[in-house]
Amino acid sequence: MVTFHHGLSRRQLLAAGASVSAATIAGCIGGNGEDDDAEILDPEEYDYDRDEPDDEDAARQSSMVYTQELERDEDFDPVVSNDAYSFQIITLVFDSLYEFDYEYELQPKVAVDFPDVERDDTRFIYEIHDGIEFHNGEELTASDVAHSFRAPVEEETPNMSTYDMIEEIDVIDDYQLQVDLAHQYGSWELFNQAVDIVPEDARTEDREEFNENPIGSGPFEWHDFQFGEYVELERFDDYWDEPQPYMESIRFEDNVDDASRVSEMLAHDTDAIGDVPNDDWGQLEDEDDIDVHVTESPSVTYIFFNTNEGAGTADPNVRRGIAHAFSLTDYVETYLNNAAIPLVTPTSRITNDLWEFPIEEWDDEIYPEYDPELAEELLDEHAPDDWNPTFMAPDDERATLAERVATRLDEIGYDMEVQTMDFGAMLDQTIYSEADPDNYELYILGWTGGPDPDQYLYSLFHESQEQLTNGHHYDGSDDFHDTIVEARETADQAEREQLYTELIEEVLTELPALPAYTEHNSMATGDHVRDMHVHPQMQYNPHLVSEESNVWIED
Amino acid sequence: MGLARYTLYRLLQAIPVLLGITIITFVLANLAPGDPVQLMLAGQEVDEELVEAIEQQYGLDRPLHERYVTYMAGVLEGDLGYSIHWGQPVTELILGRVGPTLLLVLSAYAFAIATAIPLGIIAATRRNEPTDHVSRIVALFGVSTPSFWIGIMLILLFAVQLGWLPSTGLVYPWRGPDAYAWIDTWPELLYQTARHLLLPMIALGTLQMATLMRVERTQMIESLHGEYVTLARAYGVPERTILRKHAFQNAQLPIITIIGLNLSTALSGAVLIEYVFNINGMGRLFIEAIQALDYQLIMGITIVFGTIFVVGVIVTDLSYAYIDPRVTYGEEE
Repeated sequence: MVTFHHGLSRRQLLAAGASVSAATIAGCIGGNGEDDDAEILDPEEYDYDRDEPDDEDAARQSSMVYTQELERDEDFDPVVSNDAYSFQIITLVFDSLYEFDYEYELQPKVAVDFPDVERDDTRFIYEIHDGIEFHNGEELTASDVAHSFRAPVEEETPNMSTYDMIEEIDVIDDYQLQVDLAHQYGSWELFNQAVDIVPEDARTEDREEFNENPIGSGPFEWHDFQFGEYVELERFDDYWDEPQPYMESIRFEDNVDDASRVSEMLAHDTDAIGDVPNDDWGQLEDEDDIDVHVTESPSVTYIFFNTNEGAGTADPNVRRGIAHAFSLTDYVETYLNNAAIPLVTPTSRITNDLWEFPIEEWDDEIYPEYDPELAEELLDEHAPDDWNPTFMAPDDERATLAERVATRLDEIGYDMEVQTMDFGAMLDQTIYSEADPDNYELYILGWTGGPDPDQYLYSLFHESQEQLTNGHHYDGSDDFHDTIVEARETADQAEREQLYTELIEEVLTELPALPAYTEHNSMATGDHVRDMHVHPQMQYNPHLVSEESNVWIED
Repeated sequence: MGLARYTLYRLLQAIPVLLGITIITFVLANLAPGDPVQLMLAGQEVDEELVEAIEQQYGLDRPLHERYVTYMAGVLEGDLGYSIHWGQPVTELILGRVGPTLLLVLSAYAFAIATAIPLGIIAATRRNEPTDHVSRIVALFGVSTPSFWIGIMLILLFAVQLGWLPSTGLVYPWRGPDAYAWIDTWPELLYQTARHLLLPMIALGTLQMATLMRVERTQMIESLHGEYVTLARAYGVPERTILRKHAFQNAQLPIITIIGLNLSTALSGAVLIEYVFNINGMGRLFIEAIQALDYQLIMGITIVFGTIFVVGVIVTDLSYAYIDPRVTYGEEE
């Protein structure tokens, strides 16, 4: 079964995970994490205009250092890799059949156009551009595209689930191929068909070598690599597509410590850093020679309720009582005003925009607003006697939210214990556990989805994913889980929208999980880095060259 | 007991110590909450078969004692296992990271010794004078301030505000100038190594420096009040000679002990300093291993750290004889 692509999967649960020391140290450079007067940042205000160099020849001699916020797994074969930070490099080395634009919609890249769809939405016929060359001089053909689709399944790589609904692939000629799915698959045209194309011959000759010295057809080619330290790419001068990149080279390093990474930026030891910590946003923004960039992302944080029998939170009225007891807006304003926006749906805002869900209606009519009196009333009526729930949280900013919920419940007479632990232990105690109410009744975690609601609803709410990617054990209405599968295996997008509307309304009414906030993708660059625009798909950053941006360094 | 026999005796003593380290670490790592396979597959749509296959592949389906025995058999052959997170042999990963850590720790020690001993002597010879007070305040600051905080302050001052030194990273001299596109010659490489090393070295070495300085001062004061020093003065031996030959030499034994024992503090300090200065050493690898619950990597690094510490203590003990001829290794006939 499929949902994930472009390395999202392994990092999906890790999206907001911070290093052990980072959390401790960050406060030394940034503030104390509290800013009662803070306003929630609007990413649209950071939507910079395009920029063009005065001297194109000078721009073509640009090189930069980009500091990533987490270490890479150092898997650079897109068939195998499921690591977002390796994929930030992969997306520059490889071209994909389709690629996401800044609106998070797929656009043809190697494909000439969108596919011809036949056989009741299960047959897709693709035509690709001719004359595309890999970095080794071999021509990119339909056979390479077919291999790129097949290999994850044949080799059972971690990306297998993205393509395992493919029944058959027929290479019609060098520039056309036909992909048949075993059944309709709703997100195929929105997500899954954006396969990164690998050269079949070079890859199958020596897969291990290919993984550490990859050959693609993208705008940059592999230059140098030191395991665990850096990757250097150089511009591929025979790149087939327009625009040609200005950047001559880019070096990727990583620095997982927030404070240290911000220091690097302030000391100008790097040209750009990924992920601006919330508390350092103001300091970086105030620097004259540093630009901050931000955009919405498909990352969402939720408070999950244990709905197993025996848990106080098995009663939806108790869940709703807890949800009314505290203000998420107040929390985000205080602690995450530069890094997140409160959310009222289990899907991210960027996904909601694409699907045009009735957000305002849900916000007004279903989403539980802050109402301590109603919270007290619901809990007094429905919470078990001597109810002392446990709330588990990773030891980062999410623990602060858990503490805040506990404080508010304490104010209305309920004692909640907050347990914080490191991320691995947290997953083991919640998602991978049997959901014993004695262990926890609430937990908080994040999830990075994508443009399709299936990427949230299937993983986080379908019964098949219990103890794999969700630990709330929600039974749902009679056809809840069947509807999730039906929406996944339906190609009619209007019908899917209706199904997802029903599903989301049930989630918001029954609250197996309370959507809390959606996080941003952010970046800081020296002001000599020009025409940089942060992309909602984290794996696309730094987005060096596309029809919508072409980065260069100004002397 | 001669030096050779004593050395052999200490090396044999080290075996149960190292064995104990491996047993404790192995048990603790395996009892810690969290499943490495689940962590590896976090966020994916997986099934039980896949989980079982991975557990079988890495031997995680076998009982704890069996896994330990198998692991130790590998260790004796120099195989520290296979990292489930990195997909690489642990020995290779450690060899790739041990250089920066040793460079950092040794340079921090060099900084500590080079500053602590002169400052300790000055403080002792000018006891209760302003110089002594200042040096004691410096020592107090050094022992009571976390090394990572010192590191951040040094970065803010010398890298961010003044822009004199780089904020992060290291330049590794063993790679040669060819490894760095922006470095052409060996002198330039060594200069860049020194520039990059200076701040982390001071950050890590400050605690060692402060500790050593306090001990040096105390020992020097004690020595300077010894009867043999009074006698030397009575004989008219110049003060400089008394200081160098009589007081200083006798005061150094405790310093050697402290240096050996502080090796564990220095190694654990390196873990944080490597994070703050973004140095790809063993400390950073250790944190990554813990976060990923990579048991074999945790074990491998612990064994290497444990071995460095045990060897350090043995070398310290053996060096006593060279520092002080009165020290013998057991009774002599």
